[in-house]
Amino acid sequence: MTLLALADVTKSFGGVTAVGGLSFTVRPRHVVGLMGPNGAGKTTIINLISGLLHPDAGTIRLGGQPVTRARPHEIAGGGLARTYQNVRLISGMTALEQVIVGSYLRRGTSLLASILHLPAARAAARATRADAMDLLARVGMADRADTLAETLSYGEQRRIEIARALASQPKLLLLDEPTAGMNAAESAEIGRLVHALRDDGLTVLMVEHNMRLVADFCEHVVVMNFGRKIAEGPPAACIADPAVQEAYFGKQRDAQRHRA
Amino acid sequence: MMDIVEDLWAAYASTLGFAMVNAFFALATYATLSAGILSFGAVTFGAAGGFLGAQMVLHSTVPLPLIFLAAGLAGAVVSLLVAMIFLRLESHWMALASLALVLITRVVVLNTPDLTGGVNGLSIPQPLPLEWLAGLLVVTVGAFYALDRSWYGIAARAVREDTSVATCMGIDPRRIQLIAMGISGFVGGLGGVMMALMLQFVSPDTFFIHVAFTMIAGVVLGGSHHWFGPVLGAAVFTALPTVMQAFIPEMQDIGNGAALLLIMIFLPRGLLDPRAMRLRRARK
Repeated sequence: MTLLALADVTKSFGGVTAVGGLSFTVRPRHVVGLMGPNGAGKTTIINLISGLLHPDAGTIRLGGQPVTRARPHEIAGGGLARTYQNVRLISGMTALEQVIVGSYLRRGTSLLASILHLPAARAAARATRADAMDLLARVGMADRADTLAETLSYGEQRRIEIARALASQPKLLLLDEPTAGMNAAESAEIGRLVHALRDDGLTVLMVEHNMRLVADFCEHVVVMNFGRKIAEGPPAACIADPAVQEAYFGKQRDAQRHRA
Repeated sequence: MMDIVEDLWAAYASTLGFAMVNAFFALATYATLSAGILSFGAVTFGAAGGFLGAQMVLHSTVPLPLIFLAAGLAGAVVSLLVAMIFLRLESHWMALASLALVLITRVVVLNTPDLTGGVNGLSIPQPLPLEWLAGLLVVTVGAFYALDRSWYGIAARAVREDTSVATCMGIDPRRIQLIAMGISGFVGGLGGVMMALMLQFVSPDTFFIHVAFTMIAGVVLGGSHHWFGPVLGAAVFTALPTVMQAFIPEMQDIGNGAALLLIMIFLPRGLLDPRAMRLRRARK
């Protein structure tokens, strides 16, 4: 039983192979970490899964359906939501509106009803608003609902982005470095939120290159370097893997030579 | 003394009428701009509505409300046809293509005299009741207000500000932009028939570059991020020449230009800017 399956996925930019023959699967209700040093191809993978890029070779399946050539909005419709490495909120919108955009797929009313301001459209809009408020409360941002999101702190913007991703009620959530730029307490809070979401039935694939956070957050880890998988398994075993140690810290004898 | 007052009223009553007609065109432009499309297409949609409306007045006994509806639908049909071709283009090429469309429209109007009266145009023996113009404008603005608050309005803003993020939230940008073009077509078609009845005359020059200029300037002036911006901008832009004429006739053009420049420099996002209002609120 898998929710997401990548098989032999390859993507090159010009002559550079960003992802080379990568295969891995994500099981439902798991928190899976995608780890690797800078330039390993982690964000490329996230962009391939969400449909912003298409692989040169290989297949991607979401919930059993092939989505290799699907467009991003179709993949989102299939139950995928994501956040970005550099927070990408919409300029000019309040925190609440950001989350309402995320609930587009569950709008529940027609264009004509909206133009005519019919009671059904107003009721649907009220329900959307209430759901968005609940999500803001869930990430601890309810008191900032009517604040212009771009005026909030980086950590607050990250939490709004997660609430926005949750608004479509996805099956799979892709988090691209959710704790970048956060301090230890804020990171731990994100970790608790991710675990609570998993307990509610959500599956999470998160890019993270902070080893300690991966060890704390994830049940399963895929480690990449130069676009290839170098290790996969439980976090502790992966981090102890010599290949992973080498990718992150260089070769042992290099270190010894430096010391000498 | 009484004569002067009456003259002023006569001048300003027609200015008010044209401000409302221009508001339709500005709203039609805002409809596409708010979904990330810079398009001059409303001129063409206006021509479709204007000439159809003129022909209906001349050759049928259809009541005015139905003529308005037909003109709006004619604009919408043309806009959707145009959208199917143009939405394949990148945004700046789309803007250029829509400008080319305005030029093509004039050539087509000139060369189909049976439909449009050709170079002589068509005289329309039917004045436009101002209450109809005002009433329909209020209804249209109300619809824009409702749309702005709806899922569509919020999705359109997302497409305009960051298309890539919008698609990852399940929004199909082509669908949103197709809807935007349809709305622009309907409102542009309405503007066209209003213009025709207001002038009681349509010719190839009725729907040409000056309309495109007025409507774009109106939207920029009023604010392209707020549903009321285009109405305000169209009003200011229509009134400005008249006011300048009354006070400093010898420097009218200079005054117009200077006023526009000042607004562009100090209010680049227009007179009404929801983002700036929210920033001010946040600072308090």
